[in-house]
Amino acid sequence: MLTKQIKIVEPFGLYKWAKNFKRIQDRFYQNKYKLRRIQQVEDFINLNGFRKIYHIEEVKLDLELDRTMFTEDIKSSDLVLVTHQGYSRYPCVGIIEQINKWLDDCPDLYLCLNRHYLNIDNQKIDLDLPADYQQAITAWLKKSLDGCFVVDMSRNYIDYGQNFTWSLPDRHYYIGRR
Amino acid sequence: MKKLIEHFDDYPMIDTDRHNYRRYRMGRLKHQIWLYNRKRDTIVLDTHDQFLLDNINQGRTCIFGSAGYYLENVVPDLTVVEQWPIVKKFYPKVQIIKHRSDIAKNNGAVFDNFIVVNNRGDLLCELEGISEHIDSYIKAMKPGCLFFYSFRDTQVMNWNRLTTDHYKYFYDFGLQIQKAFGLNLIYHDIQFAKKYKDGEGNYDIWENPDTSNGNIKFVFEFKSNTKKIAKK
Repeated sequence: MLTKQIKIVEPFGLYKWAKNFKRIQDRFYQNKYKLRRIQQVEDFINLNGFRKIYHIEEVKLDLELDRTMFTEDIKSSDLVLVTHQGYSRYPCVGIIEQINKWLDDCPDLYLCLNRHYLNIDNQKIDLDLPADYQQAITAWLKKSLDGCFVVDMSRNYIDYGQNFTWSLPDRHYYIGRR
Repeated sequence: MKKLIEHFDDYPMIDTDRHNYRRYRMGRLKHQIWLYNRKRDTIVLDTHDQFLLDNINQGRTCIFGSAGYYLENVVPDLTVVEQWPIVKKFYPKVQIIKHRSDIAKNNGAVFDNFIVVNNRGDLLCELEGISEHIDSYIKAMKPGCLFFYSFRDTQVMNWNRLTTDHYKYFYDFGLQIQKAFGLNLIYHDIQFAKKYKDGEGNYDIWENPDTSNGNIKFVFEFKSNTKKIAKK
């Protein structure tokens, strides 16, 4: 049966599409539709008058915003927009530290978290949190971010993997210092 | 302005071979191994594949929803079962089923090994959903069949990752399966990411170990408990 030699390697990354994931999912629908959460991000920026966006992105979202609204310098930005899912894979303490670092550089943060990655390293969180996972995420942020306001702008639903969460993370938070 | 979409079912997806192939491939990472190996003189497999080869029983092996044709040249008497008809186009020997119960209906209780490796079609549901899948798989197993089941915690839905001990959650699931289905849990390997700061005070952004095969791996023995598993 076997005529070829076998070479054994450590499991390696077979996942090739991360940055283009949203574009691929768009093609499922012939590019006819727009992800509601992307519209929400754009509306939040436009309706609240943000004009210098520092966007930390992984999956290409193709935001329909004027390119001149983006800056490469976080310290001159008026909003940090984080859609990069990698930060959801930080340990929870690391996410909180990172939020504080962003807020040190910019007063307003729009943070998107992928619920399926949080607490990736299985650490015990020493807080009294609700049993409902979505409420628990918000409570964890509020209890961990002293001196900050945290506004949960997510929709309330159970995700069974059919809500484009890996195109644009599902939990959306507006965070700033009081 | 374009109409807004929130859920896969909000509007009909296109239904072409190209589209179906793309969706299938996105969810079946081991298909990439098959593409890679078919054009080369050396077969590249990973350590989990080696683990399977080292431990399977002699006899018939079923691999479901895992692009299992990549093991065709190394696993004797292999039955590859998928749910995506598109697979028939490039691997005509595949058995295409609609429902998991069709595996037993089509083959009987004949398999000495039953393998599911990180099957996206098994996941994106709660653990109860996985139990229902397993209830169908056992009907295709002979007593003594080894059941290799691996998956990713990040694709199991609707559990509270902040208040739950992940290890206990999944290990207990293995024990529940053991109790419910006459499957003796003879091996488990449950691993989560370890996160440390680098020299600049940042953490890595990587996922849990082994996104290809799953970071949660179980081996069960159906209706017997005689097999010793050679660890990796």
